Amino acid sequence: MSIIKFALPSKGRIQEDMNNFFSSAGIKIDKLGGQRTYIGRFKDYNDIEVRFLSANEIAKELHNGNIHIGLTGLDLIKELDTENSSKVLSLLELGFSTADVVAAVPNSWIDVLDTKDLAEVSRDFLRLHDRRLRVATKFQNLTRTFFQKNNINNYRIVESTGSTEGSPSAGTAEMITDITDSGKTLEENNLKILNDGIILKSEACIFASLGLNWKNIDLDSIRRLLRILSAKSNAISHTELTFNYDKKITNLDIDLYRNFNAFFLNQSFVLGSNVSLIVPDNKSSLCSEFLISNGYGPIKISKPDFIYKNSDESWNKLTSGLKKI
Amino acid sequence: MNKSVNDIINALGGTGNLANLLGVKPSAVSNYRKKGFPARLHLKIVSLCEEYSVPIDNDFFKNEKIPFKSIRSRSSEVLTKTSHSILNNLTSDGYELIDPPILVSADKVLDRLGEAIADRLYIFSQQDGVRLCLRPDLTIPTCLYYLDQGLSGEKRLFSYFGKVFQFYREDNSEPAEYTQTGIESIGDSNKINADVEVFVKIQNALVEEGIKNLNTYFGDVSLFRTFIKVLDIPDLWKSKLLEKFWNENEFRILLEEISKNQKVSDDFSQRIFSLDQQSALELVRGTINTVDTNSYAGRSIEEITDRLRKKGEAFSLKPLSKNTKDLIKDFLSISDRPLQSLEKLRKLCLALDKSLIDKIDETSTRFEIIQKSGIDLKNTNFTPEKGRDVEYYSGFLFDFVWKNSNESLYIGGGGRYDNLIKSLGSETKVPAVGAALNMKRIERLSQIERVR
Repeated sequence: MSIIKFALPSKGRIQEDMNNFFSSAGIKIDKLGGQRTYIGRFKDYNDIEVRFLSANEIAKELHNGNIHIGLTGLDLIKELDTENSSKVLSLLELGFSTADVVAAVPNSWIDVLDTKDLAEVSRDFLRLHDRRLRVATKFQNLTRTFFQKNNINNYRIVESTGSTEGSPSAGTAEMITDITDSGKTLEENNLKILNDGIILKSEACIFASLGLNWKNIDLDSIRRLLRILSAKSNAISHTELTFNYDKKITNLDIDLYRNFNAFFLNQSFVLGSNVSLIVPDNKSSLCSEFLISNGYGPIKISKPDFIYKNSDESWNKLTSGLKKI
Repeated sequence: MNKSVNDIINALGGTGNLANLLGVKPSAVSNYRKKGFPARLHLKIVSLCEEYSVPIDNDFFKNEKIPFKSIRSRSSEVLTKTSHSILNNLTSDGYELIDPPILVSADKVLDRLGEAIADRLYIFSQQDGVRLCLRPDLTIPTCLYYLDQGLSGEKRLFSYFGKVFQFYREDNSEPAEYTQTGIESIGDSNKINADVEVFVKIQNALVEEGIKNLNTYFGDVSLFRTFIKVLDIPDLWKSKLLEKFWNENEFRILLEEISKNQKVSDDFSQRIFSLDQQSALELVRGTINTVDTNSYAGRSIEEITDRLRKKGEAFSLKPLSKNTKDLIKDFLSISDRPLQSLEKLRKLCLALDKSLIDKIDETSTRFEIIQKSGIDLKNTNFTPEKGRDVEYYSGFLFDFVWKNSNESLYIGGGGRYDNLIKSLGSETKVPAVGAALNMKRIERLSQIERVR
């Protein structure tokens, strides 16, 4: 039996967010041989070997097929993706460490609002300065694809390894593409995001690499672990609405699913009994209004700790992915 | 002249002596007498003959793979018969064979060709941090060579033969390195002659190599430029149309956009346009409201104001008439054999300024000279739209495509690029025209043709 290699981020915001997520899910990670080592175990999941790497390294190792499973940012995986190499499979969106990869220009460019303006300005720039507009970035591939899609051809990428947002004021680039969660560092550096400048919405995800050998691996631990993580991330992104089903409306469940992606926990509806509806967080107020306007109420709104579904999507993704190797 | 292997071995002092010179056993040399020199020794034999003043026929190794004498210094370059004869053709008539740099500044290449080609380049940093790339073509290295030699402004004819490097992510069957050969005519102010000369020379090299089923697609991007210049439409539309020419899709969108009434959606730029230059500048400066002039980030306040004025101006302009819009579309859609195409263009543009007709006549002159030099224009085509996908050429241009019933293969092409050398660092604009062939594909074709 071979052991499954699971990489977790060893530093940064994504590690802090992950620690909070794991502890709220009741999952404990033991570092083997003290705090400073880079190998560990999940408590209760002994046949998974945990390796602590930087989020960047995890993305690379997944692509290179050196680890089976990894937790890292979607942005880092997408940056390494090429169209004909889909060796990395996204299993589960965890809902934390959310951030956007964006295109931002100096505030002083008051004539530039969107990518259309940028396409024109980049052309003018080449004509007026006899060189191309420089874009500082850590995301060369994402940037190239985005610019190409928006017909911006007259630019040059300047590779940046850190504090990209400082490049325009340092004079090493005219604009940037970068990852940002609140946009605050961009603001502090006198940069603004283009109206249509969101290149990628990113968050922490669990990925599987299809680029290595999965034979002779006992998948039971990973199945159990994925199930808990799914249940936790479902809970984080969803709200539970409880109300009394005191009135019959035909196709209520279908309407709720279509309009709000909401689903009932109850299999059958007995008039006068309490029912539980699970709604994505961002739709819960709209959904409540809908219920009230249809004569239901009062509604109790609460945050569940876990939501286990009958069938775990992340596990299904993994098994169908492994069949293709 | 030494005609046989035996003659050469004898002239070089006989079996024993040559064995010594080559560092092989005498029995090996006896073997050469029967079977001929092995390919790996051709280079050595040629230089030994030179060293000992033993005359050897230039064609001695012609029927085999032979190192081309002028680039003997790079012993790895072994030319096939096809390469050899094409190169012989290209290096004649004063086209000096040069060996331009393989490593070129990545920044220079990217500044010229744009980021769209970046994922095709082999880019790396040298120890001091300077970014280099393997040359993706031979035109830029040739121009850099021309500038390095301090020739700026002088007339020079170059030919070259060497590897170029491009990565094709979409198509793994394309080799990352292949041999390109070609010519460049730099600094010749007689542009018509230079254009024709380069085209005829490269076309003849292909024909003499026996490449049949050759189709040639001509264009001249300067025709469209002149056409737009003489149209009676606002300057702003002209500059926009010229800018978007290079992207067919965007051009079509723009043409529709400026043929409709402009929707006012941007009050600020309209206000800037309504003000005089000075007040507009003041307003923009006040709006930007920054003490730190650095944060204009590479663009001057005048530049920003100017662009806002243009944006504002767009709202005040009358849309293009249907006639003008149709005329532009018709102009670009003309496509026929060159002289016929140009005659249609002449008819279409009769009512326009004479400078356009002159320009059309000038383009016709090229084809008349090409015909006079004995080239049949039967399998050729000319459209003013040709060349809009590569923003590189500035005038006359052509592509060679080999075609049979089920396959078509681009094998080379060329054209005029009058802006490149200045943008690579020359103080003055230097007219230039060139053409290159993909030897990998030509080798394949000459094999196919030979099999038949």
